[in-house]
Amino acid sequence: MEITNVLFSGVGGQGILTSSRVLALAAVHAGLDVKMSEVHGMAQRGGNVDTHVRIGKEVPSSLIPAGGAHFLVSFEKLEALRYMAFLRPDGVAYVCPLEIPPLTQNLKKDGGYLKGIDGILEEKAPHVIWVDAPAMARELGDLRMVNVILLGALSRSLPMKEEDWEAAIRERFPAKVQEACIRAFRMGADHVASNH
Amino acid sequence: MRKLMLGNEAVARGAWEARVAFGSGYPGTPSTEILEALAEHEEVAVQWAPNEKVGYEVAMGVSLSGHRALVTMKHVGLNVAADPFFSSSYMGVNGGLVVVSADDPGMASSQDEQDNRFLAKAAKVLMVEPCDPEESRWMAREAFALSEQFDSPVLLRMTTRVCHQTGVVKPQEREAWSSRGYLKDIPKNVLLPSHSKARRFKVEERLVRARGLSEASDRWNPILKGSADIGIVTSGVSFGYVREAMPEASILKLGMTYPLPIERIRLFASRVKRLVVIEELEPYIEAEIRNAGIPAVGRELLPFTGELNLPLVEEALLGAPRHKVTVDLGGVPMPTRPPTLCPGCSHRGMFTLFRDMKLRVMGDIGCYTLGALKPLAAMDACMCMGASVGMAEGLEKFGGPKEKGKTIGVIGDSTFFHSGIPGLIDMIVNRSEATLVILDNRWTAMTGGQPHPGTGKDIRGNDAPQLNVAQVCRALGVQRVREVDPFDLEATRVVLEEELAAPEVSVVVAVAPCILGARLKKGEAVQIAIEECDRCGACIRVGCMGIHEKDGFPSVDPDLCTGCRVCAQVCEKGAISLPGVGRA
Ligand SMILES: Cc1ncc(C[n+]2csc(CCOP(=O)(O)OP(=O)(O)O)c2C)c(N)n1
Repeated sequence: MEITNVLFSGVGGQGILTSSRVLALAAVHAGLDVKMSEVHGMAQRGGNVDTHVRIGKEVPSSLIPAGGAHFLVSFEKLEALRYMAFLRPDGVAYVCPLEIPPLTQNLKKDGGYLKGIDGILEEKAPHVIWVDAPAMARELGDLRMVNVILLGALSRSLPMKEEDWEAAIRERFPAKVQEACIRAFRMGADHVASNH
Repeated sequence: MRKLMLGNEAVARGAWEARVAFGSGYPGTPSTEILEALAEHEEVAVQWAPNEKVGYEVAMGVSLSGHRALVTMKHVGLNVAADPFFSSSYMGVNGGLVVVSADDPGMASSQDEQDNRFLAKAAKVLMVEPCDPEESRWMAREAFALSEQFDSPVLLRMTTRVCHQTGVVKPQEREAWSSRGYLKDIPKNVLLPSHSKARRFKVEERLVRARGLSEASDRWNPILKGSADIGIVTSGVSFGYVREAMPEASILKLGMTYPLPIERIRLFASRVKRLVVIEELEPYIEAEIRNAGIPAVGRELLPFTGELNLPLVEEALLGAPRHKVTVDLGGVPMPTRPPTLCPGCSHRGMFTLFRDMKLRVMGDIGCYTLGALKPLAAMDACMCMGASVGMAEGLEKFGGPKEKGKTIGVIGDSTFFHSGIPGLIDMIVNRSEATLVILDNRWTAMTGGQPHPGTGKDIRGNDAPQLNVAQVCRALGVQRVREVDPFDLEATRVVLEEELAAPEVSVVVAVAPCILGARLKKGEAVQIAIEECDRCGACIRVGCMGIHEKDGFPSVDPDLCTGCRVCAQVCEKGAISLPGVGRA
């Protein structure tokens, strides 16, 4: 059973569910089977969240085994590190260089962000590709585009064709933002193509 | 046609295909999206009930009318609806009645991990268990016909990973089905003891007939022929893991798990060298198999708590997981990121006061339960929905000097309507002196913002009759009912002190809408005059993502801060203020 495993991670409210859905839709458009496991409920209140997407000819179950993810797509650095052990030895992490500090408990003890995280990430991950999606989204004038930019970055490594992705984006987003989403998606794809 | 659907959406789709006339229930993760998806079909009457018991009873009335009805809830919701669930088993149905229980192995969003398969068995109600979205669709659809065929409610038992799994579904046309009309039948539907004694035999007869189907059906309980070395009995979400861990094994996949097809299992067992049962949570199937004298293993191979996953099942079946974890995060001091009250949440000020006033807080379930976490840590107990009221009464009556006059119950508005009202009646008639704080944020926030009786909206967002919390309390007979603005800390503190001192039951209603539910626009962020800060940390201890430590000083994140001013009001130096507004 050939299955491609993509794990998304981030902080509740960042929109990782939307990205995962678009990926799953693209797989359906490509005629593939897909199963996806998502988080609803308590964890969404600012906690760490993850969604699992598994794509193949036949996918029996929806959870990615630890050590079995081909790709990790992280919307936040700490959440990239937290889920790093899901990656296979030849896995690739697409990481958005964003820092969202977890809730601090006091001023005296250093409750802030993990120091030196960029170095730790590069040391621990089999392979990291930094995708500064927030900067690209700002360039496009719409911060909500972060999730499609990250998908674009990931897209070159997956079997789906450009038209499958476009169809998925059109299915998921309202007409008035579709063109902007497709542009943002291509921007993410080009970023990876030109830098790696 | 192939369509991508969430398991919960697929249940709604299946029910719609079966021409369900009515859907009810009470929100609860992981079941909530079923009714929300069903409400997208205009031809179905869909409504939220104040609690699961009421939702069940209305659905039973619809069944009596001859129409098909669906009622949904999370696993603990079936405890609330247990009374009608058990008794309706004796009545049976007219139009098909399907009950969804969404269990939460691993307790991602729940207070316990109960395995509701035992409730189906205890109530002698037929039970089916899907493993993925497509099965969720067809099993929901067929469950209505089963219900009518066997004159029983049917429990559609889901779990978190089935409810919240998205996959490819093959939607079908709607069934040709129409209502049977009302049938008056006193011995069947009036559960007097004399009638119940007769119905008791009917229940047993129907289980014999249902077992016949369970034994014979390749659709509900298929056998996947494979190697004779090992046979695996499994059900629900575990099937996927088994299939992936050991594609070569023989598998008996149970879709109907009450009544269990014991003879089918016996036959299956006789054709394999070793029988293994892979099931999540309790050894429900395995115990039945062993009781029937069929040798099987399973429980000793799996953890007793939590969800299963592929590595756990591989370990059970193959001795070790196939994938090795190669990334070692040992030694990295990874900060945790627990869920927190949103910036601008109307509950934050209240819990800051509870903590600073050193109150004994009997809590309840909702977003505000997060007030139990550090740095607020302002809740002493939280058990189940509605329990804050009774626990506050009991503790206040029998507690020592730190509890007398210092005990409050705190309950959300949705929870108050759900099961808080009988507790308040108890406080009144049994002369409690405790104080009940009701957090009236107008929405059922924890489960994603569903309307409740105090919202004034129905499930489709249309206007609906609206109950007023304070009025309800006064009508019950509470003399001291006060409404406060929970964003005004000083005024709220004064009211709390007065009501705690009053030697009778009092209710304090904190009125402020949920920032998410009401889709409030974010206000302007506060500013900190750093030169006036003495680094006491009071602002940090309100536990808000909008304000954090930076180089030893508090720092505001203007993208997150909503300008609610709770942190400003706890700052004794008056260093925090809204731009253009005087300091607190
Ligand atoms: C019997 C039962 N049904 C449903 C739930 C799921 N649930 C947890 S809290 C909650 C309601 C919370 O609403 P409210 O009391 O208004 O507080 P809020 O989250 O809005 O602060 C629900 C439905 C549960 N835990 N138990």
